[in-house]
Order: sequence, then structure tokens, then C-alpha cells
Amino acid sequence: MILMTMKRVKQNATRVMALGLLVGVSACDTDVVNPGPITADFLDDPASQAAIVNGVGRALSDALNWTAYTSAAIAREVHPSGSTGSFGITPEQQRGELNDDEIGTQWSNAHRARFLASDGIDRILGLDAADQDSDQLAQLYLWAGYTSRLLGEQFCQAVYDGGAAEANSDSHLTAAIAYFDQAESLGSGDIATAAAAGRAAANVMLGNWAAAVADAGAIPAGFSFDMPYYDLGDDTQANRIYVAGKAEPYKAHSQIFTWIEQYNPETGGVADTDPRVSWEVSGENGDAASSCCGVIAWNPQTKYTSDDAGIELSSYEEMQLILAENEIMNNNDIPAGMAIINALRTAAGVGTETAATQAEAMTFLKREHAIEMWLEGRRLPAMRRWYVNNTPGDLQTLEEIGDGDVSTGSHLTTRHYCFPISEAEQDTNQNISAADVVRIIDGA
Amino acid sequence: MNRFFTAMSRTAAAVAVSCALVATPVSAQTGTVTGTVTDAMSNSGIQSVQVYLVDTGLGTLTNASGRFLILNVPAGSYTLRAERLGYGTMDMQINVSANGTVAQDFALSSEALGLDEIVVTGTAGAARRREIGNTIAQVDVADIIEPPVSVDAMLQGRVAGMTVLNASGNAGSGARIRLRGNVSIAQSNQPIIYVDGVRMRSDAFDKNVPPTGYPGRSGNDVASPLNNINPADIERIEVIKGAAATTLYGTEAAAGVIQIFTKRGHQGQAQWTASIEQGFANMRPFGIDSSIRNDVSAAGGTTDYMFIDPWLRNAWQQRYSLSVGGGGEDLQYFVSGAMEDDDGVLPNDNEQKQTIRGNFTFTPADNLQLQWNTSFTNDEFTNTAAGNNAHGLTLNVYRRTANYFGNEERENLDLLLGQTIQTQIDHLITGGTATYSPFSNFTNRLSVGYDLAQQNNRNLRPFGFVRAPNGILSDGRSEFETLTFDYVGTLNFGLGSNINSSLSFGGQSVTTEIQRTTAYGEDFPGPGDPTVTTAGTKLGFEQRERVVNAGFFIQDVLDFSNKYFITLGARVDGNSAFGQDFGLQFYPKASASWVVSDEDFWGDMGQLKLRAAWGQSGRAPGAFDAVRTYDGVGWGGSPAFYPRVQGNAELGPERTAEIEFGFDGSFFSDRLAVDFTYYNQTTSDALFAVRQAPSSGFIDLNGGNSQLENVGEIKNSGIEISLNGAVMQGDNWAWDLGASLSTNSSEVGLPGEVPEFSVGGNGWIIDGQPVPVIRGEMVMNPDALAEPVIEDDQIYGPNLPTTIFGLNSTITLPAGLRFSARGEYQGGHYVTAGVAHNAVRRSVVWAGCNEVYNIAGEAPITATSPGRDQLTALQRAKCDPSLSDSNFWAEKADFFKLREVTLQAPLPDDLFPGASGSTLTVSGRNLFRWTNDEWTHFDPEMGGNNDNNPISRDGAQPGSFLVTSISEHIPAPAIWTVSLRVVF
Repeated sequence: MILMTMKRVKQNATRVMALGLLVGVSACDTDVVNPGPITADFLDDPASQAAIVNGVGRALSDALNWTAYTSAAIAREVHPSGSTGSFGITPEQQRGELNDDEIGTQWSNAHRARFLASDGIDRILGLDAADQDSDQLAQLYLWAGYTSRLLGEQFCQAVYDGGAAEANSDSHLTAAIAYFDQAESLGSGDIATAAAAGRAAANVMLGNWAAAVADAGAIPAGFSFDMPYYDLGDDTQANRIYVAGKAEPYKAHSQIFTWIEQYNPETGGVADTDPRVSWEVSGENGDAASSCCGVIAWNPQTKYTSDDAGIELSSYEEMQLILAENEIMNNNDIPAGMAIINALRTAAGVGTETAATQAEAMTFLKREHAIEMWLEGRRLPAMRRWYVNNTPGDLQTLEEIGDGDVSTGSHLTTRHYCFPISEAEQDTNQNISAADVVRIIDGA
Repeated sequence: MNRFFTAMSRTAAAVAVSCALVATPVSAQTGTVTGTVTDAMSNSGIQSVQVYLVDTGLGTLTNASGRFLILNVPAGSYTLRAERLGYGTMDMQINVSANGTVAQDFALSSEALGLDEIVVTGTAGAARRREIGNTIAQVDVADIIEPPVSVDAMLQGRVAGMTVLNASGNAGSGARIRLRGNVSIAQSNQPIIYVDGVRMRSDAFDKNVPPTGYPGRSGNDVASPLNNINPADIERIEVIKGAAATTLYGTEAAAGVIQIFTKRGHQGQAQWTASIEQGFANMRPFGIDSSIRNDVSAAGGTTDYMFIDPWLRNAWQQRYSLSVGGGGEDLQYFVSGAMEDDDGVLPNDNEQKQTIRGNFTFTPADNLQLQWNTSFTNDEFTNTAAGNNAHGLTLNVYRRTANYFGNEERENLDLLLGQTIQTQIDHLITGGTATYSPFSNFTNRLSVGYDLAQQNNRNLRPFGFVRAPNGILSDGRSEFETLTFDYVGTLNFGLGSNINSSLSFGGQSVTTEIQRTTAYGEDFPGPGDPTVTTAGTKLGFEQRERVVNAGFFIQDVLDFSNKYFITLGARVDGNSAFGQDFGLQFYPKASASWVVSDEDFWGDMGQLKLRAAWGQSGRAPGAFDAVRTYDGVGWGGSPAFYPRVQGNAELGPERTAEIEFGFDGSFFSDRLAVDFTYYNQTTSDALFAVRQAPSSGFIDLNGGNSQLENVGEIKNSGIEISLNGAVMQGDNWAWDLGASLSTNSSEVGLPGEVPEFSVGGNGWIIDGQPVPVIRGEMVMNPDALAEPVIEDDQIYGPNLPTTIFGLNSTITLPAGLRFSARGEYQGGHYVTAGVAHNAVRRSVVWAGCNEVYNIAGEAPITATSPGRDQLTALQRAKCDPSLSDSNFWAEKADFFKLREVTLQAPLPDDLFPGASGSTLTVSGRNLFRWTNDEWTHFDPEMGGNNDNNPISRDGAQPGSFLVTSISEHIPAPAIWTVSLRVVF
């Protein structure tokens, strides 16, 4: 009986081992499909068009978020209030520097948007014509145009796909104009209008005033086209300037020591005499001690008051300022230019100004530009254009490089006018050496 | 005290229930066998010796005094055997009469070398130590008198060539383990872990952090699966360190293998062991001596603790365990339960862990043995928000008035304690092994193992939380599964006189699955304990990943005269993560050993074995690395594509080839054991995350644009020496001294077209430099009384220690008293105190600059500080906010730590009725730290925010797990414990 039992145990053990071996061998099938990531060929499905276009939109919003915030610090649209890490402003940027080892995210984000736009256009155009969604394609061209405009305005040089560095960023602006042409052609309503407005801005940067004026003059009053942001619990989809200053926990920038504090002084803790550059007194201090001046008062901007506050990409007001600058600089018609500026001011509920000379008029125009496009990522490019072209007129005192005494100047010790080729690009792009990197620096 | 009673009752209940089915048979007409087992040299008792009557199933284990007692032995003649790892086995013939008592003592001789000990790790089946051509480190837990708090702690400083790095002093913190340095840059360097033949997860568990937003709203530390093993359950640990030994484990094992063997039941009556441990953790000063500059924070904090002392506490820690082992000839069992409840030194830190284990061995026939081992651990811990985290206590305390409150008032900073960071890990490890020998020379072993860990992370900033007023909640569930099938057949046959062959063959399949699901919500309607459902904004996240690795191997050991051994073997592997153009991988191995001391000419000079081994092993890429993919990232609630992985159809494993040689010897009548090894390993086809030019635009959601490619090389070489000697011995006393030295020199080989790249924490991967190397801006005139001359891209040195020296000593005194101490030096490396730079650049008055402030005459220093002329260039660079760079805080990190000091005393026999022995142990850990003069503050072993995994959460910088840098954490505290252990 015992022998029988043992025999059965052995038999069973042998069977178990054989079964185990069988299972083990079958487990050796290493062909695994994991869910989640999307294979590249799926993007060539006609059903993917909306997600392709949205991807480009998100990439542009990322790029704008980062360049608008950093350039706002360099242009002194805001004053750094200490935080240097997440959502912060580095000590070098606090001084006015855009160094190639600190702008990698801005460079990468902008080039991701450009790649996705270009790749997306190729994919959609590669579909059968009947499958192409023209509305999506028009939107895609518009995002592509704004992406290239951003690259052309904010970055010193153009680099494509690991290639050589171009002398400047003009080719992005040229590309932007071509994309805007396509968007206008395919799109309608706001898409078409925004394309014309975007094209006007790109042409201004290139000095093509006639084309710019033609587009700008066609933009109707009240037109505004925003880059949308979202309140979804995801900071990367939210308005970065707002998140960096909503005290959860970051209070990374303040309006203290900016010209806006002087131009639009507070009353009872609120500064909204000119509602376009509104801010408030919080009674709290900034995140940390800033390198210029220790712990400073945190007086946050109130232009953006929620995560989902959009950033204007094009507007009627911007177009009017193009027309005004054209009158002042190209036509030397100062009254005409000032009339346009004053019309904008009247519409905003603030007093008008008068100018006797071209320089005086341009000083007002530059200030009005700062007001109308405050915190929209457009100020530093405009400063660059005026600097490079030696355009008459002054910036506001606290926008200028100063000696640290804010009664006579700003805490800026220098100003870089555009984002250089990033250190990561220099490290990884064998067609670029440090000598190829162009920087536009005030006084350099 | 409620926690005390709860813990006791849980432990006792768990073991009692588990033992309910286990009984030891009792016979009539029986006698008793008793005696003491002592060390033949010192005459001191030896614990954990298995003493049994051969072929009867009767036996027991000795207690701490070396005493044993076997009851109910049927009258008759027997062979009484005493055996224990590290000692020669001894048999005695005895006659037992009915109702009689036989007293039989043993005096065992230690075998420092143990050439005939059986080891199993890295071999195909079991092998004698003399046959093996590579070094195997073995930790015999019975030799450790200190009550280990964790497996991490048990291993620290005990294995030459092993680095065990604690990240922080947080509750639940797990260590990083490195064997012979980093063998990979892109993949995990954590050794793979087996427990009783079952593969378990070795990489760290997930960090408890929300899936969106800044990835540091957390305690910023991670738990290690290794610490789910109850140290009291472990019998021994075997460690093989490199590819020369790990070939048979295939495409996973290049970083080494740790195999844990838990206790098994012995033949004989049940032996119960109960232990109670009480203690407290206490933070030792890690800041700047407060006598340097009078500076006390508004909350009362001092520079000795970087101002966090008002929040530090003496944290009560308690552990309880109960185990029983025994059995008959056919069935042996070991059942245990343990519970611990440890407060941490930070206010919200606590860890509660319960472990239960059942190990069973069934031998239904002489040629068939079945083993089944199961353990279950429930580990729950809470943490204080720490690390580089603007919502964290430590950061806001360290940043002083430049923190996110603008002040250092305690009532404000206490508001940060409102965040709940609660982690629960349930971990089941179960597996069985059937060993069947149909013929005397043919053995089959089939193992099936299943490792399942489920992690539940709850991270809540409640409604009204000071830094997220509307509240944020993240509830994450992660599941980690590992399924193992392992078959080995071994056929022994002769090839002529004095030549034997042991041919082994088999296969192994390891399937790992990871599933992560996280619900995230913010904006709650009001106070209360919320769920995500009640949030105004809700997000969901999911990740699933399955990887299959399977392979076959064959190995032959040729034995010439039992003195010369040659082993040849190979493994062929497939892996689901290989690119589609990539086929099976072939890993060969060869080794040889020569037992010189068995030669006639050797005489009586002790024992010596020369050995050499060469082998290859690998590391597979990640599950998604080979295929070009996009992510569905969404935008404003609509679908959106973003780039994810560029893809590489030719992607394969990196391959590490290693040669090692050395010797094992014992000399002077076994009073000195020496183990020497030289190793040299090269990882070719190394997986590097090669950065692409950003202008190409294929950049993922987190800004990454690297693609894994099989390029470059990683080289590691060094020596390992272990010495263990009986320095002095006398009647009832002895002094044993052990020392180990290991070195590691590593070097990266990068092809010209691959750009060097950063791995965070100032760590870089650069051609010709260590893995990783600290590089960056450097002050070229550090000692000059002048403004700093700063140059970029300067090399500081390696980030991993290049020299580790361990020293341990045990003194055995009369009356069974034992005193042990263990220390470790690590040096030759640089670590960056990012915490200092983060503060200085924000103009924080930083205690690490206090000497500088004294000279400068103001704090913080400026360009016009009165004493600036008296500052060196390095002092200015470190402490002037306008100059500070994190590289200036990269400091030589040489340190020595007194890891533990322990005193153990046996208690009187009659103290506990029915007990066969008891001991009282007092132990202290982390009591003393020495650092070199250049080191300013904190602890060189601390970590940053990064966890131990290559990719723990999307967004981790490639390779960031490689670098040790110091974030806003606290170091591991000192721990004092008193432990009572009673054996019945």
C-alpha cells in the first residue's frame, strides 16, 4: 500500500514536472503587445487628424507658455521675486541674461511644435483627398504659422533638424507667412482673420511694412485670437505666468520695481486705472530673496486670474499699433500715428497723449505696445526689432538696463534680446559649434 | 501602549493560527538527549547548530548558549549529528534508554573556508564551493548578533564590493544597492533578487507622488521590496556580483544576483523563538556647529540640525516576532510572524509592517522532495512632505525666511504637516520547488514562483491646505507581478578514473507585469476626508507593461580528482523588449578552480583554492524602447498626440563580459580566512540614451528627446579582499576581527558621434570618465584671496565611491557575553549638496556659509561686504548668491560610519519558565560619522528626489537614478534598540 502510494506520488511528480516544463516553454513566447503608447503608423489613419492638430496646438501653447514667461522677466514686464527653480526665474535671467544653458526647455518646446506642425501637415496631405479634413488642416496651418512666428520672433537663429545654424531667424518668419497664407486660404471666419493678423506681425519683423499694413488694416475692431489654456489639474496645460504667481506655492514674480507700478499706481491695494495692466497689492512677500534686492513685496499681476486664461496671439489692437508705427516711422505722420494710439487709450478708458516729434511719438507707441501686449510674449521681440533697427523713441525707465537704484533705473544689468541656440542643441548638433551661436545683447 | 498590545496580539495570533495544523508526534518509552555545542577553540556556545538523530526525524537547534534538548527519543542506538554553516560536521554515537537522559556535548571546529559547503546561486543546481570558479559572498545570519532592522541594514558593510546607499531618514526608505559599480547607464543597476528560488521585484516601489504637476509633492523617497523580507526569517544570503557568475540568469543579471534563503524547519520537536525589540530613533547633528555663529531660527532651530530640530523627535520603534520550526523526517515546517511599528524622526513619519511566513518541506520518498515557501507582508507607512518640494517641511525650514512663507514661524510651517502621504504595500511571495531524482545520478528540479506586490498610494492635500487651498488628492494603485518557471536537470557520470562530469541543462521564464492606475482630483467642495469622486476636477492615468524573458542553458562541470574543476556553460535568451530585427542572445561562460591545498606538496599549510571565471550577461531595454511611438496626451479635454519614443528596430540588450580571478584560503589552523578577487568587466553595446538634436523636434511630453541605442562601453575593474581572523582565543573568550576592502574604477567609452550627456545632480556621462562623473563649473583659484576665476566643464571626480573599507569585530566574553562593532569607510567620490546651492542662490542666510559670513561681516555676502577681501575665491563662489553654482557645492564625500555597536548577554536559564535560553541585546546604529574636512554638512549617503528606478514616472531624466546628490532631506537617524529573544 505504501509502495503504491509512493509510486503514485512519483508519477504525479513526474507529471507535474512535465506540465511545468510545458508551461515554462509556452511562457517563452516573448511576443508581447503592451497597451498605451501609439505606434507611429496609427497617425496616418484619417481618424487621427484631430489629435494631430490638437497635438500641435498643445505644443504651441507649451512653447508660448515658456517663452512668454521668461521673456517677460527679461523685458521687465514682471520683476523676479526670488524663486529660481520650478516656475522660477534664474539669477542670470533676473539680471537680464538669456544663457544657452538655461533656455533648453524654451528651445525644445518651440522646435517640438515646429516638428509636429510640419509632420502633421505631411501626414494629412498624405491622406486621400476625400479623407482630408479641411477645417482641421486650416487650423493646423494656423498653428504652424504661429509656431514659426514665435520661433522667428523669440529666437536669435533658425536651425532645422540638426542642420547648420542660419545667420538669423528670418526663415521662420518666412515660413510663418507661407503657413498663414495656407490657413487663410483653407479657413474661414476667425481662422482666416487670425492668419492675416499673424502674417502682418511676421511681415513687420521682416520689415515688409506694405504687406503688414495691408493685412493689419483689414482686421476688424474687436478681433482677438487667443492661445487657449485649461484648468484641468495639469499645470502644463495652464497659463504658466498665472501658475507661477498664484501662491500655490509660487509667488515667483511681482509688479514691484516695474514701470507698470509707476504708470498704473495702486489705490486701496488695487491698480486698475488702466485695466490692461492691472495688478494688486497682496501684503505678502515673494517666494525667496531675489539676488538683486533680497525679499521683495509680492504684488501680482491680475491680467490673468485663472489657470485657463488665454494668451492673445493676435488682436485688433496689435494691428492698430502696426498701423500707428507705420504712420510714425514710414509716413512720418505723427498726428495720424498718435490718433491711432489715442483711440486705443480712449477705448481702454485712459487719457490721451500728445507728441511733437517722431521720437516722442515712438516713445508713446512703445509704451502702448507694452500695455496692449503685456505678458503675451511679444514685448522682447519688439524690443529686439527696435534695438536692431535703432528705432527712435525710448523704452520706459524701468525697462532699461539700470544701476540697481530703481529711482534712476532698473535692476537689470544687461539685456539679451532673443533666445540663443540652446546648449543641448550645441552639444548634440554636429553642424553647430559655439562660434556659430549668435546673441543679440544690449550694448554688445 | 495600545500599539504595543495590538502588535503583540497580532503577532501571536498570526503564528498560532499558522501552527494549528502542525504537531510533533510524541512516543512512549522514550528518553532525552541534551548537551552543549561549543566552539572548539574558544569554548563558547554556538547558536543555531542543527543537532539531530540521523534517519529519525528527531532533532533541534541550539540556543544562544549552544545548548540543545531533544525530548521523546525512543530507546535505542543512534548517530547524533551536529552541523552548522561555517563549522565542520560532527557525529557521535549514543544509546538512549527509556526514561533516561543522554548528555552529549560537541566541540565543533570552525571551517573558515568551507570548501564542501553547498552553494546554489549562479550554479546550475547546487554545487560545492570547491567547484566554483567565481567568488560568492555569503552572509550567515546566525553570525549576526545585532538585531537587524531591515535587509538593507543587514547587508550594509557586509559584502565586499557591495554599496548600500540610503536615500534619507524617512520612514519606509529603501536603499540603492550596487555591486561592483554601475554596469548600465540606461537600465537598472539594482541586482536581481531571488528568495528561496523565487524571483522577486528588485527595483524600488513607486514614489508616492501625484501623476501630474511637479513630480516632487511627496516625501520624495521610495521603499525597497527587499525590506518586505523579515530579517529574522533569513538563514543566509548569497551574493554573486558580476557577469562572470551570473551568466545562467541571462538577460537580466548583469548587475549581480542576491539570493535569500529563509529558514527551514529542522527534524525534531518544535522550537519556538520569540523576540521583542524596543528602541528609538534619534537624529544626530548633521548641520553646522552652532558655536561658529550665533543663529537661532524663530522656531528655535539651530544650525546643528539646519534649523529643523524643533520638528525632530525621538521616535519610538518596536518590533515583535514569533516563529516555530520543527517537523518529522518527511515533513518539516517553519512558520513565523512579525510585526513592527516604527515612528520616524519627522512628525508625520511612521511605518507599520506585518509579515507572516510558512516554509514547508515534504519528502514523500527518498528521491523526491517538495518545498513550498510563502510569505506575505503588509507594509504601511506615512511620510512628512520632504525633499525638493515647495510644499514640504524640510525645504521650507532649510530655506528660512526665503521660504514659501517668507518667515520661519513654527505655526506657519506646521501647516505643511496637513498633507497626508500614505503608502500601503501588500507583498506576496510564494513558490514551490520539486526535486526529483529518478536515478542516483540524475536530478530534476522544477521551481514555480509568483511574486505579487500591490501598492496603494494616497497623497492628499486637503481642502484648506495652505499651499493648495482647494485641495488635491491622488490615489494610485500599482501592481507588480513576477512569474517564474525554472527547470534544471543535472546528470552526473564518470568519464574514467578520477574524472567526473556533471551535466546540467534547463530553462527559465520570467514574466513581469506592471500595472499602474491613478485617480487624481482637485478642487473639493469643502473640508472632510475626500475621495477623488468628490473633486471638481478629475483626471485618470493608467500604465500597463508586460515583459517576458525566457531562455535555455546548458552547463558541464568537469571534476578531475576532486581538485581541478572546469565549468563550461551557455545561455540563450529571448526578450519581448528586443527590437523586431533582433534575435536570440547567446551568453557563454567558463570557469576553473584548483584546490591547491589538496595537493600533496601543500602539506599542512591550511586550505587554498585558486579560481578564475569568465562569463557574459545582459540587461534588456525597456518594454517600449524599440518601437517608434506617440503618446495620447490630450489637450483641453480633446485627444492630442505628442512624440514619445523615436524607436530603434535594432535595439538589443547590453552585454556585460567579466573576468574575475582570485583565491579563497584559510591559514593558521583556520584562524584566518582570506578571499581575494580581481574583476574586470566591460559592458559593450551599452544602452545609452543618446540625445538627439532638439531642433529635430521629436521631444516627449517631459522634454526628453533621447533614444536608446546600443553604443559605447562601460568598464569596471577593481579588487575585493576579505579577511576574517580569530585574533585571540582563550577559554570562554575570543576576539574575532574582520576586514574587507573593495575598489572600483569605472570608465565610459563613448563613440565620437554620441554627445556626452547629463544625468542630473551634476553627473555626466563622458568618454573616458567614471560612471557617472561630476562635472561643471569650477573655481580655478580656490584658495586665492581674490574673485573666483571660474571655468566650465571641469571634472571633479566619480560620484560612486571608488574605495570601500569595512571593519568588524566581535569579542566573546565569559558568561556568554558578546560585543560586536562594525564600521565602514567609503571614499574617492564627489557628491553635490544641491540643497545648499538651492538656498544660497535665493539669498538664504545659509548655515553652511557661517564661517564665510563671519569673515565677510554680513550675511548673505554681497560684492561690497566689508570682509570680502579676506574671503577665498571658493568661499565667495559658494556663498555669494550672485555667483553660486551647484557645482561649487560638489565636495569630496569620503566618510567613515560606525554602522553598529551591539552587546548581547544571555539571561539566566530560569528567568523564563520552559525556555531553553534567552538573550538580551542592546544595539546602536549610525552612532558616529566622520567626513573629510572639505565636506560641509548633511550626510554623503543622502539622496535626492529621484528614486531608484530608471523610469519611475514619466519625466525622470534618463539616468538620473545613477547620481547621488543631496536634496532637501534629512539623513538616516541613529537607532538604539533593546531586544529580548527567548527560545522555547
